[in-house]
Amino acid sequence: MVIARNLEAMLQASSIAFLPKEKLNDFVGLLTEEFLLYGPVQKKTEFVFEKIENAAQLALDYHTTLLPPKKVLHQPFETLFSFSEGEGAVDDVSHVEEKQLLFGVHPCDVHAISILDEVYSHEYEDPYYMAKRRGTLVVALNCSTPGDDCFCSSLGTGPDLKDGYDLLLTDLGDNYLVETGSKAGQELVEMARLYSAPRVTLVEKEKRLSDARKKFKKRMITDGLHDLLEENFRHPVWEELMKKCLACGSCTMVCPTCFCYNVVDKIDLGLRSGKRQREWDSCMLLEYAQVAMGHNFRKDRDARIKQRLYHKLAYYEPQFGTLGCVGCGRCIHTCVKKIDITEIIGRIRGE
Amino acid sequence: MTAKPKIAVYKMSSCAGCQLEILNLEHVLLDVINAVDLSYFVMARRDSEPGPYQIGLVEGAVTCGEEIEKLKQARKECETLVALGSCACYGGLPSIKNWTPQRVVESRVYENPAAIHSTTAYGIDYYVAVDAYLKGCPINKEELVEFIKSALLGAKPYLRPHSVCVECKLYENVCVAVSEDIPCMGPVTTAGCGALCPANHKACDGCRGPADDTNAKSLAQTFKEHGLNPGDIKRKFHKFAGMTPEFDKGADIL
Repeated sequence: MVIARNLEAMLQASSIAFLPKEKLNDFVGLLTEEFLLYGPVQKKTEFVFEKIENAAQLALDYHTTLLPPKKVLHQPFETLFSFSEGEGAVDDVSHVEEKQLLFGVHPCDVHAISILDEVYSHEYEDPYYMAKRRGTLVVALNCSTPGDDCFCSSLGTGPDLKDGYDLLLTDLGDNYLVETGSKAGQELVEMARLYSAPRVTLVEKEKRLSDARKKFKKRMITDGLHDLLEENFRHPVWEELMKKCLACGSCTMVCPTCFCYNVVDKIDLGLRSGKRQREWDSCMLLEYAQVAMGHNFRKDRDARIKQRLYHKLAYYEPQFGTLGCVGCGRCIHTCVKKIDITEIIGRIRGE
Repeated sequence: MTAKPKIAVYKMSSCAGCQLEILNLEHVLLDVINAVDLSYFVMARRDSEPGPYQIGLVEGAVTCGEEIEKLKQARKECETLVALGSCACYGGLPSIKNWTPQRVVESRVYENPAAIHSTTAYGIDYYVAVDAYLKGCPINKEELVEFIKSALLGAKPYLRPHSVCVECKLYENVCVAVSEDIPCMGPVTTAGCGALCPANHKACDGCRGPADDTNAKSLAQTFKEHGLNPGDIKRKFHKFAGMTPEFDKGADIL
């Protein structure tokens, strides 16, 4: 019944097309003529988003990447402007819109980009992020095999995607089903002259996603999460985590919705010129909440652990209308101590 | 511009690798010399200019009475005194001898230990006040340049206080601990090296000493769970900064 209802909704959706896998290389080739293309590639035992030139580099069967594709829009290190004595601040390349395309982005990461879009345009527009974002198209890829640490199905951010993409691919074996989510996406389909697919293909797509939904090993119940966390600020789990957590900051560095950064000036040796740079920062680090005269608002490790989790799961929603977690599982995978956000919530719920 | 600030480079018990890094700054060395006067630098110049100096860079651990005197003199003649490298910061590699009885250690190395007047190896702040710490074995030379620039500007230098993990993530290295199950000191070790070892597929050795809010005990527990024996765990934490209370907690796993 569920499938039938979804199908009805999908039948009203925009046009759908086929991208045969043997044509993937041609399609990617076409995209590289127009765009700077980023896609998932293998790096030793893991995957990373990198600039690609042809389809052979792509590893579209990836589970997750070390850093989210966020890194293309909100870079780990980014020069904001340069300056010199006499000339003052000189606007740098950061405002320049580059035509770029993120290829093969999973639904969780597309959701995360939508969240960042909101964060960086909510009250004060971040010109560096927005310039890059405006020039960026997203070709998403529905998940057919979730990884061990994934729990997007609990948060409604995967394994399938409803919006936030220009094109959406679903692996159907010999073909990718291609759905269009924007005018720019439609233009790509026309440019590549992809054959339109019969509507019945959506049934096949739904079957694959339905199979994928059964494969999740982790879940997080989100009902009443805000109140649950507010009521459990003194739960014993926090002290246990304080003893366990290494405070290394990895969980936040790999998070697709973390947006904090630090700003540093890099002065040249002559002391007459330099550049202002920003780089990712993290609330898990002791220095983060340190202010003048050395006072620190979150000196204790458990205070920082709570800040991370409460920000994602309690504070985000009133401000941005969505949870700050998309269930990508990166924070679990990257943790040396295997601290698991889904287990923490389960524990507080008394599961 | 006023006269260039004078810098002195002192050597205690060390391999001289940290001060060699100053010369290894080849690509900017002329700019450095343009900005500061390396007035006392035995490795690099034939003659020395007398103090006082604006900045003193002290390399090496303090391991004998003569060095204590030399260090106190350095403190007197320098406005800003910097511990250059992990030996000067924590005792460094020389401090591994501190965990074995003095006579046993000395007889392993010297034929006639009677001539040796060695003491427990300490970082320089055991004896004198220290204004800044440039960690590492050896130091990161870019961090040294950053420090010199900040000193010239009178600004607080940005020396990364957090874990090596942060830099591994910034450069998107494959985590040797998580992805390859290699015991890595990165989560408890101060960054600033650009995660040099993990980037080259080697576990972090902990050479830069404890990071902010280090939880060595928890990492030692993980090492143990992954099959490292207590002796190896102890050696990992004692190698460069065993004299720090933070790393000593990791070594105390037994």
